[in-house]
Amino acid sequence: MTDTTSTPVINLHDLQKRFGIGDAEIFALNGINLSIEKGEFVAIMGPSGCGKTTLLNIIGLLDQSYDGEYELDGQSVATISKRKRARIRSKQIGFVFQSFNLINRLSVIDNVALPLIYKGVTKTKRLVIASDILRNFHLNEREYYMPHQLSGGQTQRVAIARALVNDPSIILADEPTGNLDSRSSHIIMEELSDLHKRGNTIIMVTHNPRLTTYASRVITMLDGQIDTDTKTNNVNDVKSTPHIEEHKSAQSIKRKKKFFSRIKTRRRKK
Amino acid sequence: MRFLLLNHIQNAKQSLKSSRVRSTLTMLGITIGVASITAILALSGGASKVITNQIDALGGNIAVIRPGITSSTVDNVTQAQPSRDYATSTLTEKDITYITNTPHIQSVAPLMVLSGVIKADSTAPEGSLIVATTPELETISGLKMREGQFLDSTVDKNTVAVGLQLSINVFGTESSIGKLLYIKGEPFTVIGVLKRINNPINYNSVDFDNAAIINFESGKSLNQNVAQIQQIDVKADSVENLEQAVNDINKTIKSSHKGEKDFSVLVGEQIAQPTSQLFFMIAKVTTAVAAISLIVGGIGIMNIMLVTVAERTREIGIRKALGASNTDISCQFLIESLAISLGGCISGYLLGYIVAIAISKFLIFYPVFTWQIALTALIVSLTTGILFGLYPALSAARKDPIESLHRYE
Repeated sequence: MTDTTSTPVINLHDLQKRFGIGDAEIFALNGINLSIEKGEFVAIMGPSGCGKTTLLNIIGLLDQSYDGEYELDGQSVATISKRKRARIRSKQIGFVFQSFNLINRLSVIDNVALPLIYKGVTKTKRLVIASDILRNFHLNEREYYMPHQLSGGQTQRVAIARALVNDPSIILADEPTGNLDSRSSHIIMEELSDLHKRGNTIIMVTHNPRLTTYASRVITMLDGQIDTDTKTNNVNDVKSTPHIEEHKSAQSIKRKKKFFSRIKTRRRKK
Repeated sequence: MRFLLLNHIQNAKQSLKSSRVRSTLTMLGITIGVASITAILALSGGASKVITNQIDALGGNIAVIRPGITSSTVDNVTQAQPSRDYATSTLTEKDITYITNTPHIQSVAPLMVLSGVIKADSTAPEGSLIVATTPELETISGLKMREGQFLDSTVDKNTVAVGLQLSINVFGTESSIGKLLYIKGEPFTVIGVLKRINNPINYNSVDFDNAAIINFESGKSLNQNVAQIQQIDVKADSVENLEQAVNDINKTIKSSHKGEKDFSVLVGEQIAQPTSQLFFMIAKVTTAVAAISLIVGGIGIMNIMLVTVAERTREIGIRKALGASNTDISCQFLIESLAISLGGCISGYLLGYIVAIAISKFLIFYPVFTWQIALTALIVSLTTGILFGLYPALSAARKDPIESLHRYE
């Protein structure tokens, strides 16, 4: 799946992130060297406080105060202006947060359409696209619900729908299943691995070792450094559990297939 | 191309709606400020319009000569009616002669306002005036007679034309011709009653409804034979020649006053100014109060916007993570504060006119409606909105996205 001859999407060289000064100085990241190719599904594991989220924030261009080199698509991020960085976040990167981070005063569909605003899409178009995406997450009946009226699994699906609405090439997921039970977790992982199959780069932080089976590459971190980095071969051999089988009705699979073909035609048009 | 403005407006509408009481209260500060500014501008505009209308109605060929120089506003206020009694006029009888001899001048009427008791069956109330002038005043100021005649060169020295209200006040009747009126103890025969003018604010600063108009010579004799000229009204033979005449008057009087310019010749709108100067002074003070209330309202906006920004810290973090630039975030909050001030502007403008119309029920003039007032209200409120919304908006944009995301609502 990975193409080693092209430049990696993400290339980190001796990345350091410090908190505090003087004696209280702590290295959240201490010399990370990492390159991620296009189309990889990377799972980052590690104990709390080892710098997983910090790494994800830096990759997602939210954090700018670090030492070392970060190249995104071959371009050094340090040279990109603030405005440009916002543009990249808007067009290339999709965030999925552990705590969902939906805006409570906006309805589900408005939340999903939010990233499109900053891409400059007109209102009607925004709602059409958002509605399309929500249908594929079986949430089309919940479009005008408020976030607090949804269950945890539904909320996270909305959050993923929001991350995908811009058609980003990189998806950053910070413990996307952290707040969910195992059944909902696997549904979410199903969605992510589907995205992976479509050629998106996914970087996911997780605590749950069982979920790493979906990934094509597993990185474990310890004290701000990369401990192990293993590539798994079961790239497309996504494990199915009884939960998932139970959940998926024939209808929903049909829908999903339709969705992917639509996405593919959209891509081809581009 | 990005269509964010519309979106920001929708967003602001929604967020203001969700905290309706808070937004309304904040708006109230701006409303009061804008309302007072609107009311003041409308009323003072109405006041000066009354006088300009009079001058226009008289043909626009009127000039007024007043003692002193009108450039200093404070002087003009202190020279308003009550203090005229002890202010020595710089205009003399000689000046009248000079003016009369100036080419293109059709008629000249000096005005000498005296204080003293006016008495007949009963004593005239305070505010009744004794005006000594020449017969030309009738044509210059467009006075109309209800009964009898105005002063003229043929009538006896001790005759008087009275205002309608004065006639009612002292004689108890509207037709008082032939009756005796005692002015400063001297008997005067009433030969005419003026039509009601109902216009206490005019460029003569005399309420003719409440005045006893006597001959200039009689006035002098009532004033120890000293002419105390408050004002000289001049009428040119045509509008075109007015400027030439004014220049000539300026020159001749200046030379006769030993080169000292201790008088002013006023034309057109200038005439209106000093008459309503006291009113404008009050208007200025009220404007200052309005400005203070606007500042307070602005601080209210800033306060509320800071609260809103703090409340929505997490939302800011989310929006930034989803691709909003700093400009997008600051625009969002700036437009929200602009929406508050604009709402305050509209309601303030309406309230201002309601107040102005209510006040004008007790006054003799009406508030004016001009686009300048609407524009002033708009500019003032938008400036306030931008000025006080800028800091919260910038502080929102400067928030660190990671820290903001970790804040729980």
